[in-house]
Amino acid sequence: MPVIEVNNRGVHIQELNKGAAETVLLVHGMFSNLSIYYFNIAPILAKHFHVVMYDLKSHGLSERIENGYDLNSMTDDLLSLMERLGIDKVHLAGYSFGGLITLKMAARFPDKIGKLAVIEAPDPNDDKTRDIIDDYSREFLEHYVTNFTDTTKVKMGKRQMERNHRMYEYLFHETSIKSDMILEKEFFSAAEISSIQQDTLLLYGTQSNCLGAGKKLKNKIRGAALLEVNGDHNIPIQEPVSIGNIIEAFFNNG
Amino acid sequence: MDAVVSTAKLNSNEIFDLMKQFITEVIGEEFVEEMDITMESSFTKDLEMDSIEIVSFSEKIKAHFGEQIDFTGWLSNMDLDQLINLNLGTIVNYIEECQ
Repeated sequence: MPVIEVNNRGVHIQELNKGAAETVLLVHGMFSNLSIYYFNIAPILAKHFHVVMYDLKSHGLSERIENGYDLNSMTDDLLSLMERLGIDKVHLAGYSFGGLITLKMAARFPDKIGKLAVIEAPDPNDDKTRDIIDDYSREFLEHYVTNFTDTTKVKMGKRQMERNHRMYEYLFHETSIKSDMILEKEFFSAAEISSIQQDTLLLYGTQSNCLGAGKKLKNKIRGAALLEVNGDHNIPIQEPVSIGNIIEAFFNNG
Repeated sequence: MDAVVSTAKLNSNEIFDLMKQFITEVIGEEFVEEMDITMESSFTKDLEMDSIEIVSFSEKIKAHFGEQIDFTGWLSNMDLDQLINLNLGTIVNYIEECQ
């Protein structure tokens, strides 16, 4: 179980195809974990790339931490992880909140980032910022339900209910995650978004309520391409093979 | 230790016991005690394993069997219905065939 120490904190990572010349780093979303990439998207990327996945703080199997969920802290964490692994430069892909982290990373540390794939990053300044945060929890639940229900709608069992409940209780009531995210609401208007120079691919679901955010980013990031994939905000779960193939082709081309 | 790659070929009973040991390590003894784990037990419905627990379980198989079994690759070829209905017996058969 690779839980490594980064700045004296336990971080769960998974790596594939370590010997490859170039590295792809994958960042998951809020209330999710690296498993969103592990089974489909990462193995596709690992055909050509060294792939690194990690669990964000207090998510998946990484250590619980009370503070530092703003984008500066999250990108500090990511840079420390790269340094700890001895990786100088990566192609970066991030989903939802992870997409915001990748954008911030490209703006703050442009020399460290090759290409950028942003999947379903929401605009933190949506009219309903609070709703967006609530959406994050629905996204998690939907992910859960998709994985744990079939046509007969099997109910979430007692152990998983307790596990989920504990995670929500912790993140919502014992960490700064909500207040830190609200502080980021001007992020899409900040000059740093327009300063992003990397080749950028924006992937959004055709039926996603975040599609408007994708269009906004396309207008702000020079040369960015916006690609719509059939589905809603949950496209990595709905279309994992398509997403994997599209990102693989994007990172591998040129 | 699950980091030692086994070279001895295991029969289906031995594989079943090993899988049961991995499941216990992943979800905890206190939960396993309440369950009747059989070859028919499904990962999601009966054992209630979520995706990050299945990652941990997959890593244990990788660490134990090494290159001879591409467990993650095998899982990634399944559609959602197959994953939901995946039971321990199917995994035991797969590992037995791969050895």
